[in-house]
Amino acid sequence: MSLSGVEKVAPDGAGPVGEPEVTSTERKAFVGRSPGQLAWARLRRDRTAMVSGGVLVLMMVLALAAPLISKLYGVGPNEQFQELLDGNGMPLGYVGGITGDHWFGLEPRLGRDIFIRMVYGMRTSLFIAFAAALVTTTIGVVAGIVAGFLGGIVDTVISWITDVALALPFLIFALAVVPTVALRFYGPREEVPAWFQVTVLIGIFAAFGWTSTARLVRGQVISLREREFVEAARASGAGLGHMLFRQLLPNLWAPILVAFSLAVPQYITGEAALSFLGIGILEPTADFGRMIFQSIPYLQTDPAYVFFPGITIFALVLAFNLFGDALRDALDPKSSR
Amino acid sequence: MTRFLVRRLLTAVLTLFAVSVLSFLMFFGLPRDPVSGMCPKNCNAERLERVREELGLRDPLVEQYANYMKGIVVGRDLGSSQGGRCDAPCLGYSYVNSEAVTDTLTRVLPVTLSIVIPAAILWLVLGVGLGMVSALRRGTVLDRLAIGFSLTGASLQLYFVGAVLLLIFTYNLRITPVPGYTPLFEDPVKWASGLVLAWFSLAFLFSAIYARLSRAQMLETLSEDFVRTARAKGLAKRKVYGRHALRAAITPVVTIAGLDVGSALGGTVITETTFGIQGLGRTAVDAVRAGDLPTIMATVLISAVFIVVANIVVDILYATIDPRVRLR
Amino acid sequence: MRLKRAAAAGGALALLAVMGACSENKGTDTSDDTTRVSTGSIATDPKDSMGPAAEVPGATKGGTFRIIRETKISHMDPQRVYSFAGLMNAPLYSRFLTTFKDDGSGKVTLVGDLAETPGKDVNGDCKVWEFTIKDGVKFEDGRAITSKEIAYGIARSFDPDLTGGPTYLQEWLADTPQYDTKWNFKANKSALPPGLSTPNDRTLKFEFAKPHCDLPFAASLPYTAPLPPDKDTGVNLDNAPFSSGPYKITKNQAGVETVLERNEHWDPKTDPVRHAYPDKIVWNFGPDAEAGANRVIADNGDDQTALAWNGVPSALVARVTGDAALKPRSVQGPTPSLWRLTINTKRVTDLAVRQALNYAIDRSGFIKAYGGEASARAVTTLLPPSTIGYEQYDAYPAGPTGNVDKAKELLAGKTPELVLGISDDSTELATQLKGNLEKAGFKITVKTIPTDAKLDEVGKKDNQWDLYTDQWAADWPSGAAILPVLFDGRTIKAENNSNTSYINDDAINAEFDRVLALPVTEQGKEWAKLDQRIMKELAPAVPLFVENGYYLHGSKVGGIFISSIFGYPSFVNVHVKQ
Repeated sequence: MSLSGVEKVAPDGAGPVGEPEVTSTERKAFVGRSPGQLAWARLRRDRTAMVSGGVLVLMMVLALAAPLISKLYGVGPNEQFQELLDGNGMPLGYVGGITGDHWFGLEPRLGRDIFIRMVYGMRTSLFIAFAAALVTTTIGVVAGIVAGFLGGIVDTVISWITDVALALPFLIFALAVVPTVALRFYGPREEVPAWFQVTVLIGIFAAFGWTSTARLVRGQVISLREREFVEAARASGAGLGHMLFRQLLPNLWAPILVAFSLAVPQYITGEAALSFLGIGILEPTADFGRMIFQSIPYLQTDPAYVFFPGITIFALVLAFNLFGDALRDALDPKSSR
Repeated sequence: MTRFLVRRLLTAVLTLFAVSVLSFLMFFGLPRDPVSGMCPKNCNAERLERVREELGLRDPLVEQYANYMKGIVVGRDLGSSQGGRCDAPCLGYSYVNSEAVTDTLTRVLPVTLSIVIPAAILWLVLGVGLGMVSALRRGTVLDRLAIGFSLTGASLQLYFVGAVLLLIFTYNLRITPVPGYTPLFEDPVKWASGLVLAWFSLAFLFSAIYARLSRAQMLETLSEDFVRTARAKGLAKRKVYGRHALRAAITPVVTIAGLDVGSALGGTVITETTFGIQGLGRTAVDAVRAGDLPTIMATVLISAVFIVVANIVVDILYATIDPRVRLR
Repeated sequence: MRLKRAAAAGGALALLAVMGACSENKGTDTSDDTTRVSTGSIATDPKDSMGPAAEVPGATKGGTFRIIRETKISHMDPQRVYSFAGLMNAPLYSRFLTTFKDDGSGKVTLVGDLAETPGKDVNGDCKVWEFTIKDGVKFEDGRAITSKEIAYGIARSFDPDLTGGPTYLQEWLADTPQYDTKWNFKANKSALPPGLSTPNDRTLKFEFAKPHCDLPFAASLPYTAPLPPDKDTGVNLDNAPFSSGPYKITKNQAGVETVLERNEHWDPKTDPVRHAYPDKIVWNFGPDAEAGANRVIADNGDDQTALAWNGVPSALVARVTGDAALKPRSVQGPTPSLWRLTINTKRVTDLAVRQALNYAIDRSGFIKAYGGEASARAVTTLLPPSTIGYEQYDAYPAGPTGNVDKAKELLAGKTPELVLGISDDSTELATQLKGNLEKAGFKITVKTIPTDAKLDEVGKKDNQWDLYTDQWAADWPSGAAILPVLFDGRTIKAENNSNTSYINDDAINAEFDRVLALPVTEQGKEWAKLDQRIMKELAPAVPLFVENGYYLHGSKVGGIFISSIFGYPSFVNVHVKQ
């Protein structure tokens, strides 16, 4: 079962990162910069990283400040302006109903303001993506460290569970499970709150998403566990917890960080894919994924409706991907440039 | 090698067993009663109850599971309401499709294979190609273009790309025919032209991962000693890159590709829906929506088989490409 | 540098978005046939039931007609057909006892199909009916169709394995909803169900315990299609039905395509409605509504002879209405499918609250959320305008966007907390309703129900919701197939109710009995009166709209009209232009 050769390879190509630690301890005397500072310095010099990072910060601020923006803008996310639609539910006026009051126009059919729904939708999507990435990375790291370090039967069992999780078709399971869960927790007359839907989505991502991080970390740990510093700690009688989380974990930060930064955009698009199947966040909660999906049929009749959310989610995901790449470059200078 | 294979196959069977039990349990929790789908109007409670009885839905879960597994191995008798005798491998009878599930699968599997395999070849060639180019021309405009292109793909939604491609190439320019599936051996040209948009949209979205991966891997390999040694010994650049570096760089790509292809074969739901092609993925989604238990089970199992098999194939391929890896 | 690439890609998208976005939308002017009122009758002249059907001007024989549809047709076995697509498909390959002569104008006549006349009420009490079978009607293998095969077809509809079809005849013959326990088909395959007999090869006789004046209508549904016992393949007949109509099924792949080709043994001289102009009819499954419509708009190659079955989706309506070239290729018309906001009267017992809901409703906004006036037309009646004898009225006049003040007045300061059940594929409608009703002082909680399960769930007598949307399309355009089905309280059972308002009013129930016993020709007006009375006295629902059919076909297709009975495209006059 143990195929260290295969598993050693990180899915995203981040190589072993033990080395910088060792070299930098030697270097410390001369330069006095920690690997983290070095990486930061490299990141600062990378223009792409700075621009994409800036875009991300801007979007996060917008998302966090959604209620405030709504107050300043004067329109709520669920307000309907159906009187500004024609008989077929299409916005009146130019370019999807853009006016001074409605900067990005109105949604066809319900007549809600696109701009404010995008701001709120970004909040939902970013929260889900960050939370899911955090949870899956944590599970993956713990499972990976334990499996990789202990080896033997523990490794076999964890690897097998990983195999099972990988073999389950994610979308089909999500489709079957997501609508059911609410029925278990809420009575027929109780409204299912948005936070519950969000939790379920994060949960389903967590159940399926931890495997790649686990494999990555396991591979790293296997290559690290025979290193001298681990041997030394073991010889000096360190406990298991100390070995795992004080000795090994600090050496894994770089690949974990990269995996995390690349997981976030994956969950943003993943959530949009679930919306495609009708199991994302439900009406009336604003959600980016659902917005994009619902707008597609209007490509010919109301391009503005497709354009604004479409370009924003594209920019968001692209910024994450670019930033993730830049982060990897900065943390692991060997792999690029 | 033999020992490895035996061990791998055993774990694979165990994995499939776990998948089948999990899905059986999970889908039984569906809120929808699979029986009520059979008579949309004018069904009385008593009659529904009798149908449930006949389908064995009142038996204990363990017994139902055992019957199902027995059907796969030796076949079983399903009763007149489900088309009678069902030979092994019997995956049950679908009321929704009014046919044996094996018939559904034999129809939709070639469709999904026809979408995924050419698309996978395309995305591998495109991805690895872009990655190689950008690694060898590191820092140039070409490098940035290649990576930018692949990142754009990775940042878009398939249904968005699909809708735009359809609108431009099929509805407006009328260059590509309407997407659809024609069996390969019936008419290869029609087969290809009906699926070409699906291939390209999948490839556009998937190639990014490969481009980034093979670029990084290639850069790392290029800096390794053996490449430098080979170059120093006067071997031609092309030979070094083509034979040695590429080989070393491609191994991790194979891992990811195996998994991707494996899970894509389990159904490309969004692609199939966007292009209106009835493959495994869409069949599975329709089945979940309609509470069509036998079809759900079959589609989940078959996609699990694909993933498990892909995993084994990757391991073997790995050993073949990289002699340093021993299969233990 | 990398970012510039991204910007370029974004620019391309922007360009796409700008295309077609620079014109001002000043609103729509939909002018279609809104006033179509149905007149229906049962043919009294046997000539009406004779073939051949009058030629369609300009129609020629030959060619292949295609129908693009998203999902497969749920059943093709005539005894199991009940979906709209199935009901429009079945006449292609099977014939029934009676059928409607229809040209889409709303004027329908019920005529004999396999029978020489639409039935004879032997004693004038609607209890004994006789049908004489036509001479020269044949199956696809050339055998003559006799009353025996029709009787066998009806008998096999008692088989509990063959679910899905309508059950009027079975319940009427057995005089109980549990017809399959009363008479067991599988144990008596060579016999006939109680009350059904074939005195000779050309006569089919029904004897009922109770009067059923609607029998000629009920006999028009596909379960009266004939089948020779030796061709009965049980559940497998669903994929390969045995033809008695102008076409036979030559290829069938569930979810991919169904091909129908000419049945040489069908004789147009025996058929009063079918023309069967095309040589071949192909159902093409897979593309969703958008893809289907886009294909037909593009009008390329094979799609020139195609019809997009899923209609013009609301997102494309502006595209289609804005293109004059598409006008001759579109077909529009009202359907009998009526949507209402059902009020669960077991829970909402206060009549004032139910009336307030009727005043508060913003039908215009609801229709916008549903897809616009091209796909729906507001109604204030429980009967759809396509019903025989229909009369327009408004029991709670409040204008197209509702009268919130009037509703508040009726509520007298109360804020009723109501739970709205909605299927999870139409949550926007719930959002719209919530916004609308909360303005009038209601407090609305939205509960989603899985789409496929919704019908079952709201059909349970003790369901927990106060409001839900319901739609009903009658099997024939008579109030008898609507009002008693939806509002007769004596039919309420534990599950599978059609009376989802759970209204049970003795006076109204008595009225149902009175009107049902009237001759069919006198019933129309009475149903319209009863409709108004139910709304005024009980307000068991808020009528919302009738669906409007809006279809597009390729440039080489002619003869498509929207069936006055079912509201879907009819194929009897379809022809392919060469």
